[in-house]
Amino acid sequence: MLNKIIEYIHRDEWSPYIAGILLGVVGIAAVGISNNLLGASGAFESLIGIIGKAIAPSIFSNTYFNYVVPSEITWAVVLLIGIFFGGGLGALTSNTWKLRVQDDEQWKAIFGPQLWKRWLILFIGGIILEYGAGIAGGCTSGLAISGGMLLAPSAFLFIGSMFVSGIITALIIYRGRY
Amino acid sequence: MNYLFAFILGILFGFSLNKAGLTKYHKIVNVFRFTDLAVLKFMLTALVVAMLGLYSLREMGLVVFPAVPATYITGNIIGGLIFGVGMALAGYCPGTCVAGAGEGKLDYLIPGLLGFFSGAILYGLTYQSVFPKIAAIANYGNVVLPDLWNLNSILFALLFALIAIFLFYLIDRAGLIRKNKSL
Repeated sequence: MLNKIIEYIHRDEWSPYIAGILLGVVGIAAVGISNNLLGASGAFESLIGIIGKAIAPSIFSNTYFNYVVPSEITWAVVLLIGIFFGGGLGALTSNTWKLRVQDDEQWKAIFGPQLWKRWLILFIGGIILEYGAGIAGGCTSGLAISGGMLLAPSAFLFIGSMFVSGIITALIIYRGRY
Repeated sequence: MNYLFAFILGILFGFSLNKAGLTKYHKIVNVFRFTDLAVLKFMLTALVVAMLGLYSLREMGLVVFPAVPATYITGNIIGGLIFGVGMALAGYCPGTCVAGAGEGKLDYLIPGLLGFFSGAILYGLTYQSVFPKIAAIANYGNVVLPDLWNLNSILFALLFALIAIFLFYLIDRAGLIRKNKSL
């Protein structure tokens, strides 16, 4: 039994149900232990608030960075740092940790092999994602999963609209290959 | 101490994203093509497990819910629409980008994180002229569905779980999924 569990941990990819149960338990623990919700997008705003206030305090001392999002090392920032190491730990257990670029075959089939193209699209995608998460009130974790588990209507509005525009975007990019 | 918990929970969170395969471009984008529904299965499973756990614990008086993510219909929808474009275009989201960066993916570590930080600057600096107007429309505040519709929350959570399990059954057993075209 124990051997089987250890062997499973070393696998590269788990059943999404098993991984989902793990995340669900983590979500319960976050509320039970810390009375906090899991999330990712808000931590970027706290971090940039800290950096921005150090470099250009006159620009970053606005309502948003002063009152809406605390410009300090919050619980969510520590969680985000944990996510970074957790991804690394997962890759180490399956022996897939490696410094690399451009490792997705499907990406290359659709966008081609140019690295600048990948980096440009990831950069622009990051801006779009973070801005959308700001307007919506959270991202896939902070709103969709954390809000959904509490049965907040906002989460289901977000999931629905995210799928609508995601499907349309994929249709436009993939066209005949959708 | 609270920060130590945050760090440990973050590690488990990132670990689960890695194991579910969500740190890969094709996994994310293929959910929008309905050729691989791992993202949906993962998200819904986490959501349902946490929902059943938290509503049961609350019923027993063991937890108090933190502030529920606010519902302001127009903003939740517009934000979601913007978000979906980014997710299908780049094949990641804030959490999976960070977890993928931890796996050694320089694409996620450099342009990815720079993109999220740039988005955060853009949002923080335009917040005052954009957000209050959008959030003022159809604002229901920190409400949850069972209260909004006056339903028993445990029964509602159970019903939700059953629907999710039925959906998983349709996907896995009845083959409710599209075949991946060769690209």
